[in-house]
Amino acid sequence: MNGIKTSVRKLLCLTLAACTAISMSVTAFADEPYESYNYDNWDEAIPSQSAYTVQKTVTGADMGLSRLSDPADPLFYSEEASASLSEAKDFYVYDDKEIWIADSGNNRILRLDENYNIIGRYYGVTGLEADRCEETQDGAISTFKAPQGLYVTTSPTTGKYTIYIADYDNSRVVRATVESATELKCEQEYTKPEEALYTSKTFNPTKVLVDYAENVYAVVKSVNTGSVQFKADGSFTGFYGANRVEVTAKVIAQKLWRKIASNEQIEGMSRNVPVEYANFDMDGEGFIYTVTEVSTDTDAVKKINPAGYNVWDNVVGDEYTFGDHTDAVWDMASNKTYSTKLTDIAIDGDGIINVLDFETGRVFQYDRLCNLICIFGTKNSSADQRGAFLNPNAVDTIGTNVIVLEGSKTRNDITVFEKTVFGKNLHKAFEFFDAGQYVEAAPYWEEVIKRDGGYTYAHVGLGKADLKNGEYKSALDRFEIANDKDDYDKAFEYYREEWLRNNFTAVAVVVIVLVVLLIVKKILKKKGIKLIKRKNKKEAE
Amino acid sequence: MYEFSTLGWVRHVVFHPFEGFEDLRWKKQGSLKVALILVVMLFIAMVANNRMVGFAFNTNTVKVFNVVPLIVQSVVYFATWVIGNWCICTLLDGEGTLKKICVYSAYALVPYIICSYIAVFISNFIITEEAIWFHAFTYLGMGWSIILMISAMKAVHQYSIPKTLVSIVLTLVAMLLILFLAILLLSLFQQVYVFVYTIYTEIAYRIRG
Repeated sequence: MNGIKTSVRKLLCLTLAACTAISMSVTAFADEPYESYNYDNWDEAIPSQSAYTVQKTVTGADMGLSRLSDPADPLFYSEEASASLSEAKDFYVYDDKEIWIADSGNNRILRLDENYNIIGRYYGVTGLEADRCEETQDGAISTFKAPQGLYVTTSPTTGKYTIYIADYDNSRVVRATVESATELKCEQEYTKPEEALYTSKTFNPTKVLVDYAENVYAVVKSVNTGSVQFKADGSFTGFYGANRVEVTAKVIAQKLWRKIASNEQIEGMSRNVPVEYANFDMDGEGFIYTVTEVSTDTDAVKKINPAGYNVWDNVVGDEYTFGDHTDAVWDMASNKTYSTKLTDIAIDGDGIINVLDFETGRVFQYDRLCNLICIFGTKNSSADQRGAFLNPNAVDTIGTNVIVLEGSKTRNDITVFEKTVFGKNLHKAFEFFDAGQYVEAAPYWEEVIKRDGGYTYAHVGLGKADLKNGEYKSALDRFEIANDKDDYDKAFEYYREEWLRNNFTAVAVVVIVLVVLLIVKKILKKKGIKLIKRKNKKEAE
Repeated sequence: MYEFSTLGWVRHVVFHPFEGFEDLRWKKQGSLKVALILVVMLFIAMVANNRMVGFAFNTNTVKVFNVVPLIVQSVVYFATWVIGNWCICTLLDGEGTLKKICVYSAYALVPYIICSYIAVFISNFIITEEAIWFHAFTYLGMGWSIILMISAMKAVHQYSIPKTLVSIVLTLVAMLLILFLAILLLSLFQQVYVFVYTIYTEIAYRIRG
């Protein structure tokens, strides 16, 4: 009976939801050039509210880059200095105060304050031998060539403001101290390791990261054995956190062929090598998160501990999914198939994980337990709408905002996303939820449900709050809406116990009556007494 | 000896897996009406298994409920089983008629149907830690019904056990063939329907225009 009742109720809910959805789509109007969505517990995309909205976009002109070509300005470099970004590949937010941009196409590093105004520009580093430097406005500097990644920190040993730059075309990673608004003083260069272990012919670092012990990790192009790790003094220590080869039918087939083939044939075969990862970031606890630009699940996002071991390589981690839950999406407008290509990851101070999908221009935001919080941003071939990207290269957080760096030929700017009321409630709720304070999270979940009744975690969160408050029946309903079987089971166990305790007398009476009836029946049968006389057809005839 | 009511016979064959169907045949018993009711009950058991099983045990997606697959899984499968078995065993010197095969097969399904109902019922009172009870009833019903089905086919056709097993395997193949042909036929008729409908609309537009 319970089943029928709930299914009727579900049907009613569905019809109501459909009606509201239809009526809302007429009146409600979203600012974003995309429709916000989220995933439910059936892994299906469902419409949701926007958790982030575009606050502004910041172009080179907004940053004041024209000052670089103004001879009267202290930041003057040369008359020809470009007043816009050009194919900027990476940025780094230092302590929520300063934004450092690797302006790859213009071979320079830019330094912005929290209001996105320029406060420094660097075309090279000083302090190297004279024959490697050229004379410029800033004196003798060793110029950058297509710097692609950077990392800024206050050195724990020297206390100096230090920047690490992955200087792509110069085949080096530079550690330099920030001396002024225009000068970086080189402290150490990390170049191609001259060791047998390093087999690649080139050394083109794309991203760089530094841990608390000042070990330097560099993602190097076409090195698939992990990131290259250096000690602070520039010596090569090895590779760190390599990806695994994804097991596909092709890989297995090739493994079999290799067993049969001769050595000459094997030489002709392509090798199965893992994909190098695209980018990484470090959280407050020193774990390194990597993203890999593959369309598949294996090692797309990893959380690596200091020993180089992926801590998500287990039963729990296997349940995590990042990016879109579909393998490939066909977009009708552009007649193109998109597959997930995670290109950057950023972990903020609260452990919130932002993953940027290059292919769809979407930022996927996860809490510290890898529950999907929200999705925002989109891809747009003309990239002329705010919130749409063509080449989203990097994502980071500054304060409560999420910023995305667009770096294509036609458009170069920073898009600033700010939280909506919905997003603020989500973050508050997840904060308590992850800490296990379900009751404290409940009011925020209520706010979330007011705005998006289909938000799965809101129902889970409210169910857990009910469970904690001892309201088992409503907890059961919540978990059923969220399709959360494990928690439903837990709630049901308590509910059953409570029910039995309250109705023990009735249950006991029924059981005793049944047993007595059975015994009576047995005795009667033994004595051959029939209470109901059956008609016997044969006798009647 | 063996004077039972109609339902009494059902009880007798279910609890006497080895001799029950031989007795049924000897006494020329078995009701087609009961058999058809049993098939309907099988269908209801399938629906119950989908909709009324305890939430924690429901592995079916509950977002959308579609009754057509359940009809196919119960009524259509049963019908193809009966027809397929009749086709095969007529060629293999079986003594069963279409009606008898239908009745005996339906009687053999009784444990499965009843155990399904019991499993669905208790699944609403147990947690997943006690899932063994749920699975026990499911497998008990299935196993019992398989044994009964073999016994029924053996009795209805008067086969030896090896021949029964061979005929059952062949029946499964025949079922596949029948279903394949049915799907083929359906899609062909659908094409014909679309064709006729297109001509109809074409003519309708021309007359109006």
